[in-house]
Amino acid sequence: MRRIDAILLALLLLLPFACERPYNARPAGPGTDRASLIFPDYQDVTIPYNIAPLNFYYTDPAASRFATTFSAGDVSVTLKGSEVVWKQKAWVKLLAAASGGDITVVSTWQSDGAPVTLQWAIHVSADPIDPYLTYRLIEPGFEVWDDLEIQERHLEDFETRVISDYRHTANKCMNCHIHAQGRGDLSMFYLRGEGGGAILNRNGTLRKLSLHDRNSDMISPTVYGEIHPEGRYGVFSTNVIIPAMHSAAGRRMEVYDTASDLCVADFDENRMLTFPETSREDTFETFPVFSADGHHVYYCTAQARPLPTELAQVRYSLVRIPFDSVTGTLGGPADTLWSAAAHNASACHPKASPDGRWLLFTVADYGTFPINHSECDLCLLDLQTGQAMDLSAVNANKSDTYHSWASTSKWFVFASKRGDGLFGKPYFSHVSADGTVTKPFLLPQRDPHFYDRMLRSFNVPDLGNAPVGFDAAEIGRIWKDVPAESFDRKIPQP
Amino acid sequence: MSRKSRNILLIIVAAAALAVGAAQLVFLVRHPYFRKCAAENGISLREARRAWGRPDQDAEQILGLIYEAGRENWTAVAELAARKDLRSDVCTYYYNLANARLGQLPDRLMDYYQPFERGLFLPVGPQSTPFKIACAGDVWFELGYMPLAERDAMLGLLFSPAHTGPRYLRRLAETNLISGDYEAAAKYLRILLNDPHGRKWAEERFPDRWSPAYKMRIAEKRNLLPQFDVVHGMDQTPIILRILLGANYTNKMALDYLLCYDLLTKDLDAFVGDFDPSLTRSQLYEEAMLIFLAAKGGMSAENFAHYHISQQTFDRFNRFVTIYKRDNGSGRNLGDEFGKTYWYYFYYAVLNEKN
Repeated sequence: MRRIDAILLALLLLLPFACERPYNARPAGPGTDRASLIFPDYQDVTIPYNIAPLNFYYTDPAASRFATTFSAGDVSVTLKGSEVVWKQKAWVKLLAAASGGDITVVSTWQSDGAPVTLQWAIHVSADPIDPYLTYRLIEPGFEVWDDLEIQERHLEDFETRVISDYRHTANKCMNCHIHAQGRGDLSMFYLRGEGGGAILNRNGTLRKLSLHDRNSDMISPTVYGEIHPEGRYGVFSTNVIIPAMHSAAGRRMEVYDTASDLCVADFDENRMLTFPETSREDTFETFPVFSADGHHVYYCTAQARPLPTELAQVRYSLVRIPFDSVTGTLGGPADTLWSAAAHNASACHPKASPDGRWLLFTVADYGTFPINHSECDLCLLDLQTGQAMDLSAVNANKSDTYHSWASTSKWFVFASKRGDGLFGKPYFSHVSADGTVTKPFLLPQRDPHFYDRMLRSFNVPDLGNAPVGFDAAEIGRIWKDVPAESFDRKIPQP
Repeated sequence: MSRKSRNILLIIVAAAALAVGAAQLVFLVRHPYFRKCAAENGISLREARRAWGRPDQDAEQILGLIYEAGRENWTAVAELAARKDLRSDVCTYYYNLANARLGQLPDRLMDYYQPFERGLFLPVGPQSTPFKIACAGDVWFELGYMPLAERDAMLGLLFSPAHTGPRYLRRLAETNLISGDYEAAAKYLRILLNDPHGRKWAEERFPDRWSPAYKMRIAEKRNLLPQFDVVHGMDQTPIILRILLGANYTNKMALDYLLCYDLLTKDLDAFVGDFDPSLTRSQLYEEAMLIFLAAKGGMSAENFAHYHISQQTFDRFNRFVTIYKRDNGSGRNLGDEFGKTYWYYFYYAVLNEKN
């Protein structure tokens, strides 16, 4: 009797799980954000051999009796059901067998009572990807925010670590975290508002910096920028940023600068440096980054115009200017690498590959806010030849931007709004020595329906070869207890 | 423990449980909108109490306005708003919105508390409360301006206690259906489809399942969409209303909102520029025109005919002016007779920043 009671009790406890509805994937199919047969669409993608399991689901709600067989070398695994979820060990074994080759996938299912078979492949590159990815999780916020956090994801499995968040910083605004050339020991991000500053992570030491010389001609605190490969300097833009809206339905928010200049921060001497060549009132200068060898700065520049009336005519060219890493000075004049006038388009967010070979940037019809421009695509420039490579395999019909390189220069990640057009998701693509790029794959998640439920964007995904050596609690302590180091120029007293 | 003690203990526990249950029942009966709004935000009653505090009857009235407005039950909104004058921005905002949807915004505008333009459009910015931000998009949706309706629904989602909720997801799905962005709409429909509070609604919004009535609703909303693109600031309300009217001059709600905005901000020059008497008329507009014409020396029969100013309104205006001059502008003898006229608002309404 007691045994029956125990069984009944166990069944009763299990009842809620038995009654749980499977996640409904509709709407799916052509014209929806789940247009492909499987989601995420991993058909014929190229992945590194050290990536987490590619879990996915079949999107056809009318089909049934799914079975998926993965084969590579002498390893063959069959998973049944419309949701394909791997065990980590089995996946690692499969990848090891496929490294440098292909995984052959055979999908079978029943549709309208008839069996269907589809064969496809996953290409497994022998080039590993940097195993860490940082990103800010943010809801589309329009000037206001709530519950922001920056996470670091281990790409070889599903482990995620919070490296800064709202809980430890009284819900302060924070901007995205960037590594210098994919290094875990050299990175930075901003905490905004009272108690904030630029958090510089350099060789295991965290500092909070006020990167604004209020006794100089800087038009604002620093905004976009990057750390020099040697770590002493950072190059930044200062921007007067105006948020606005489009009246046309579906265009959403627009952001533009009414002024922008460049400056250099000397992290050793706590000083900001500005230069006439990059502080002109008749031009906008923004999105500066260092070349791989640190001898140049790439940035975007456009002729200043009355805004917002002439916003659609503001197009940024991509230029390069010498940088002296001994004195921290920007030279001149700038060379044009990619002309806005010649392409009738606007360049944003240049990023040099750490090996010095490539420059990846985004191209939109106009302006400096490609994230809401559905026409915005990535562009890859070969710095040896000046030739733009074919990225048709990478770009989609929605915004593709906010990219970063792996430390090996073999992989890049970018945020794409493909599908729903609203939420940025991290996609990875491989670049071979001849500039061939592969169909990108979406950051895998343990739950194949993760992105169905997700209402936040992965903002500025950035690859790192090692974990950053801090966490949210430490950032909270610095926010609360450590005053920001001043970069104000000392004015001689009379 | 003896059997008797055990029974007593059981009775005490049962009585306590009954008392808690009864208290909960009384709470739910007294605060039906609190429960409904909790469900609309995807949270339990306990989470709602934690996020919003224990509601009093004023809070219940506000939640009722939000809930009924979310279902476009405008008569219920108007009745709730009239139940007690809460003298709050949100209450007036929904009262105005309901009156606009019932075709009587200018006719009723002076009948209740008006906190200047904040009763027409709730400001959205770093200084705004999450509660007001969550409500701010309802007027833009009804006016047919999807960019701000979508923005404010996203902000509603952002500031809702669980960062989700059928109320905001429905609005986000529908703004995108109206805009024709089915890929974006699919994102929200899918989430609603997996939510017991949104499943039925979502099923009926799949584009291949629209009923004739819903097709008509979408067509009517699309008819209001701006056909050209203008980049404007987030808070340039009159410009946005003029963009809507430029797209469709028969958008009477947008016209009345623009005219009422001009009047509540006491910008009579803008009002006269925006006012086309062939498109809308109201006692309110007659009263406003009389102030303008009196100030500009335009008190002619021709102007009276053009702006549909009746002899009766003109006679009342003269009486208002007579008393105003007699009392040296003190207004002490005007409130009873003219308290619900635009003249009284124009000369005596003062913005109370505390509200």
